[in-house]
Amino acid sequence: MADAPLAWPKNYNEVPKAAFTRTDLYAEEIKRIFHGPEWHPIAHESELPNPGDFRTVRLAGIPLLISRDDCGEVRVFYNACSHRSNQLETAVMGNKTEFECPYHRWLFSAKGELVGCPNPREFLPGFDKADYPLGQPRFELFYGLIFVTFSPETESLDQFLGQAGETLRELMAGDGRLKLLGYQKVRYDSNWKGYNDNDGYHAPLLHAAFKMLNWQGGKGRQYTATKRGHVCFESALSVASGPSVLKDKDLIAFKGQDPSVGSRIVQLFPTFVSTKHLDVINLRFATPIDAETTEVHYAYFAHQDDDEEMVRHRLRQSSNLLGPCGLISMEDASIFHRIHIGSHTPGNAIFQKGVRDPGKLESEFSQNDESGNLPRWEYYRSVMGFERAEA
Amino acid sequence: MKIATAELEAALDRLLLADANALDSKDMPGWLANYAEEDGASYYCRAAENTEHNLELGFMFDDCRARLEDRVTYVTEIWAGTFQDYRTRHFVQRVSHCQVDASTAEAVSNFSVFMTPMDTGVTQVLAAGRYLDKVRLSENGGAKFLSRRAELDTSVLPRYLVYPI
Repeated sequence: MADAPLAWPKNYNEVPKAAFTRTDLYAEEIKRIFHGPEWHPIAHESELPNPGDFRTVRLAGIPLLISRDDCGEVRVFYNACSHRSNQLETAVMGNKTEFECPYHRWLFSAKGELVGCPNPREFLPGFDKADYPLGQPRFELFYGLIFVTFSPETESLDQFLGQAGETLRELMAGDGRLKLLGYQKVRYDSNWKGYNDNDGYHAPLLHAAFKMLNWQGGKGRQYTATKRGHVCFESALSVASGPSVLKDKDLIAFKGQDPSVGSRIVQLFPTFVSTKHLDVINLRFATPIDAETTEVHYAYFAHQDDDEEMVRHRLRQSSNLLGPCGLISMEDASIFHRIHIGSHTPGNAIFQKGVRDPGKLESEFSQNDESGNLPRWEYYRSVMGFERAEA
Repeated sequence: MKIATAELEAALDRLLLADANALDSKDMPGWLANYAEEDGASYYCRAAENTEHNLELGFMFDDCRARLEDRVTYVTEIWAGTFQDYRTRHFVQRVSHCQVDASTAEAVSNFSVFMTPMDTGVTQVLAAGRYLDKVRLSENGGAKFLSRRAELDTSVLPRYLVYPI
């Protein structure tokens, strides 16, 4: 364990700021959470649509290779040669049906089999290529969203998602048949929990755009799912009305077919955030880099049935609306940094909005309540083994 | 009409430097003034990684004059007072150019941008990459961007962006 356990306040609406800043907790978080019994989304299969497509990512330092073989099956591997663990593939994405490690020329198929290695007669007696496939973490797909876990203990993905699965399905256009538009990637100067605590959650007062565009939020609900406190938002579609300061109104137009679906946000423990807002479908794959840095890959999607005009509209809206320089989210990004700086002060962060009783946790909230984050904090506290002070 | 090489180079360089100067001065109306007054005037900022994989999505996708004007509004009105401000210094170097027709030229330039956040005062590299420009030439030796694409080698930004690159 870390140097000293973190003293956790008795009230559920208080979080010790040291949780964001004590770097000695970080290694323990990696062990218990990122390498522990949790599922982590790493990509959507539509990011590698064709046979032979691959992607590489790193999750909490672990290099992963996602490949689609020539029969169309998607698999996740460790991106390391099964011989001496040399990084196998260096490209971020591409198309290959075989992966060769240049160190000793071991060659792997997109199914992960070792299909060739020079001079095996010089290896250990009885060496058999069949014993050296690429290593694999456990992985599962949910409507094309690829999850991995590094623990054999983790429950099934369905159990992990609970009720959040339904909202997540709706968010991914109902059927997960997505088409990749591209990425915005960024590093934030924020502990991963500071990122997760403030992305997804809405602070309407922060965003002058809503007022300037006469944009009222749609009515909706916020709920948390499972013991992990995954946060889900479901709200009716809202569009800006009345005079606007924008000359290009398409940025905030809704051109979709099904207004009943409205806006969705799903935030899964520990770091994943996803949103469907207007015609933007955005999956944010986040990973801690170190105790003070979080890297987020914002991936944007169209739907496979979209016509050319709709794809164009999504492209124009996605690029400028959300993300690290988006009209209504740049300010969120600045909060990640500023919360992290401000958390280097003594005491607790105190959640107010929506908290009715500091001695109780709830699971249904109003749309802009801060209290939706509290079940997740309780789960974090319990996983980390910190004792809550007695009432 | 073909413009003499020295004259064209001088016009292009004046435009490149005027843009760097406007951005580093946080002069958004000045930035806008470097773009041609045509509906199709455009500015894009995206990771070269996206372009290389035929992914058009970018950090900024201002594909018409109206969006360029909106970007001035984002920075000067909508976002005012919400972000940690930072200084930038753009270093630009033209590496190739050609005249396409009497009123159009194309130019490729390398750029690097330093940033210094006002709160920390520590200077870092914000981004490096290339500008791919299409330039409208006027008879009096003037030049304005018809289209500018900032293609970032930096596929992972070190922070959120407020100002165009």
